Amino acid sequence: MALQEFLDQLEQLVSEAESTFNSAENTDALEEARVEFLGAKNGKLKSVQKLMGTVGSEDKPVAGKTFNQTKGRIENAFESASARIKGGDGDTTRDTKFDSSLPGDRFKLGRIHPITQTIEELKDIMGRLGFSTADGPEIEDDWHNFVALNIPDDHPARDPLENFYLATAEANSGEKNPVNLLLRSQTSTVQIRVMEKTKPPIRIISLGRVYRPDTADATHYPMFHQIEGLMIDTKVTMADLKSVLRLFATSYLGDDVTIRFRPSFFPFTEPSVEADYYWNNQWIEFGGAGMVDPNVLQAVGYDPEEVTGFAFGLGVERLCMRRHGITDIREFYKNDVRFLAQF
Amino acid sequence: MLVSWNWLTQYVALDMNREELENRLAMSGLNHEGTESVFDDLAIDLEVTSNRPDCLGHIGVAREIAVLYDLPISFPNPNPTAAGPPADSEFTVTIETPELCPRYTARIIRGVKIGESPQWMQDQLRTVFLPVSRDWKPVNNIVDITNYVLMECGQPLHAFDLAKLQGQQIKIREAADGEEFEAIDHHVYKLSPGMCVIADANRPVAIAGIMGGADSEVGDDTVDILIESAAFSSMATRSTSRALNLHSPSSYRFERALDPEGIEWAANRACELILEHGGGTLDEGLIDVGATNWKPEPVVMRLSQIERILGISISVEEVKRILLALGNTENSSDKSSITITPPTWRRDLMREADLLEEIARIHGYEKIPEDVGVPMAASFKSDWDRIAAKLRTTMTAVGFDESLTASVVPNAWTQTYSPWSDKAPLRTISPMLKGADALRTSLVPSLLEVRRINQSLANPDVELFETAKIYLPQEQGLPREQWTLGITSGQSFYHLKGVIETILSSLKVNGRFTIESTEQDLLHTDYSASLRLNGEHFGFIGEVDAAGLKTFSLRSPASIAEIRMDLLVQNSTLIPQHSQLSSFPAITRDLNIVVAESVRWDALETSVLSAMDADILEDITYQETYRDPERDGTDMKRVLFTVKLRRNDQTMTNEEADKVREKIVSAIESQLDGKLLG
Repeated sequence: MALQEFLDQLEQLVSEAESTFNSAENTDALEEARVEFLGAKNGKLKSVQKLMGTVGSEDKPVAGKTFNQTKGRIENAFESASARIKGGDGDTTRDTKFDSSLPGDRFKLGRIHPITQTIEELKDIMGRLGFSTADGPEIEDDWHNFVALNIPDDHPARDPLENFYLATAEANSGEKNPVNLLLRSQTSTVQIRVMEKTKPPIRIISLGRVYRPDTADATHYPMFHQIEGLMIDTKVTMADLKSVLRLFATSYLGDDVTIRFRPSFFPFTEPSVEADYYWNNQWIEFGGAGMVDPNVLQAVGYDPEEVTGFAFGLGVERLCMRRHGITDIREFYKNDVRFLAQF
Repeated sequence: MLVSWNWLTQYVALDMNREELENRLAMSGLNHEGTESVFDDLAIDLEVTSNRPDCLGHIGVAREIAVLYDLPISFPNPNPTAAGPPADSEFTVTIETPELCPRYTARIIRGVKIGESPQWMQDQLRTVFLPVSRDWKPVNNIVDITNYVLMECGQPLHAFDLAKLQGQQIKIREAADGEEFEAIDHHVYKLSPGMCVIADANRPVAIAGIMGGADSEVGDDTVDILIESAAFSSMATRSTSRALNLHSPSSYRFERALDPEGIEWAANRACELILEHGGGTLDEGLIDVGATNWKPEPVVMRLSQIERILGISISVEEVKRILLALGNTENSSDKSSITITPPTWRRDLMREADLLEEIARIHGYEKIPEDVGVPMAASFKSDWDRIAAKLRTTMTAVGFDESLTASVVPNAWTQTYSPWSDKAPLRTISPMLKGADALRTSLVPSLLEVRRINQSLANPDVELFETAKIYLPQEQGLPREQWTLGITSGQSFYHLKGVIETILSSLKVNGRFTIESTEQDLLHTDYSASLRLNGEHFGFIGEVDAAGLKTFSLRSPASIAEIRMDLLVQNSTLIPQHSQLSSFPAITRDLNIVVAESVRWDALETSVLSAMDADILEDITYQETYRDPERDGTDMKRVLFTVKLRRNDQTMTNEEADKVREKIVSAIESQLDGKLLG
């Protein structure tokens, strides 16, 4: 017998069995149909199986495979007909060997890193407050990392020991205008890049990896993540800053919180503050914030007499550690799969 | 900055509750770090930001308290009596490096009696030094007094034993290369150019602004002394202090912008106290060389700016009170503005914005409301964010955990695998983590290292991905930062390829995905390939070979893949479109084809496609490959696959399906020299 002929017979058998099973109206009729098609001795499936011997040996693998599929399809049709009849006439056939307490067939799902989960949540909250996400390079020049952010040449923040400068900076030091490249020490660089290209109003958050030469210990790592917000418009005040931070903290914590400002000092904001939120009967540090310094607005070509704005920045690791009870920042970058599986 | 409660009461009455004072100081800029009892005094630890060196002395802190509580304040007004000859008659000071030391002053007191400093002074010094250094002890009246004045006004001083200064002179110069210097701490420091030293005729006697020398310090047999009060460059002080890893209360203050008027005040104050507690005769006058050339400029504060920036209104009277209490002097004022000149100790007050901050912090940030109606604005989720989120969902659904690894890696790693660039990686000057100073050009080595760490933790299943940037050096300028998806698995090439195909299907990536065998470092010669999307380099995939496993100390098989995320974003379909589905049944046909081993599946697939109208082919499913050399000959294989056919307009008949099948067979025959079995 040619392979195709055999395969056609199998196909025909399936449709025949399906229609017979489906038309059976009670257990007896179904059992009769079962014997007809699936009977161990003289069932029709058995008969067709015998024909397989007549198929050419080179076609045997295909024939065998298709036969097995056919058998499965007919058995499935029987099962569903059986289920239909049991459900319909209240047949109380029992399976006393069934153990509902055995584990189900579980799926192995991967986990999203807790830092990413935190970032996504923060982005989501800020998105609802009208802040869109902006991205920028991690390797920066000193204009974007310092100069435009009102950090002058003699500022300690520019010290080589406070930054990861690239060795290429030395190579081109012979040139007229050597460009110092470094791994960005803050995501404010993205704000500069956005402002250079966009006219106000601006409402963005920038986030990502930042780098500072800290010795790795339980609370420090030389690479971490920051989220920074920036809002620039004609009438942005410090009250807007406080209100946005309160909404942000309230959304994140899921309960109404209050915000406190303590004076601080950052070159790119004036006034500068540390923002705290009140939670579980204590003040908890949220992050640094302030009104964008007029020098920064000027550096990107804005007129400080026309527009004002605020900026704030938070450390993602710190928020994430507090939220999930993580006590060692290095866990984030070790990637023990048992650690990852906890989130 | 530790301040002594008792000390502060010399200048301002502290009738308030201690905790309330600490809180108000914290809320106005001097963050309270803690308070400790030291005998019958309190040491209050206040954090002073780098713009406020005026608060690095008790007087500055007392001034803040007086402003906050609207209290009167009284400071000493030193006026020591000079009964000796002019100080510069026998002693000269020269500054060779005005950029490192703009101004240097010296006063000379002869015939002092070295002894203990008064008890009250020892007690107050003990309060501020003992908590920092548990073995702190008073030294002698002269040294204690210079430390006292430092902690009183923030201007560092140094006392030399005049007899030990050779050649009756002081020269402020740059250190010579390799010059050695033994400081008061009895360590020998090797100096280098760029560092500023105070020298006598023959040798350095102090590292400017940081520490004096062991052999010129004031000791029990000292009779005549020279009191130094000077201005040193903050940048040079900082870099010298860093380079020598030598930090002192003096260097801490010189690193900041000190009050230029403090130089003379501090010198006078010290002389007055020395004459009182150590006797001796003060030489007439001050040896004064150089000048600081800085004086405060008037600043206009427009009242309209208060509401514009702070969002609250503050009365003119309150604004004036705050500005004047802080030591600013009023030049003029009208309805809309006040012009003031800042005091010399507030070099940070140069602009209107700086005054705004002063007004805000003293008036109180708690008065700024936190419930104003910020206007609503639409925000946009970028395509990038949408794709990245979908990608993470897909990766976790197929069982991969997300990892985050460091961007900077050991340079040796970048040699093991760098398929995107053959340029040397960028390096950081100082390593980020031990031995890691190369900006990675692939995520793969980092992921293999994570496999090794998990292996050491006996974790059996390590299926990981990371989305991060890699840094590809360019001829010049900033490197190209390429967002990349890296994957590592303990499973086979095909498993990993399936993951990538699942990503493409989940993101509905348009375009032609092709794969070609390539030999790559680290990967098995055969089980590796490079990937293209619409002809562009899209990624790499493969099983790590035995040598690669050894390089990363891995004991079990590992596979890796890396793809460009920008191409995913460009080619994904974020808003899928519905197309009408056929309501007619599909019909399938299996084909079992014998072809040469060299014929790849993609060639067979292309051949099938060429044989029919694309709109009736719903699917081609590869089933399996097997070999029967006895029947088919060597170098031949049998490939079994299924085509699923469906028409939009009517049910496809068996006859039609058979015709399609014949067309496929003949196409394969003519194009690939394959033949149908059966």
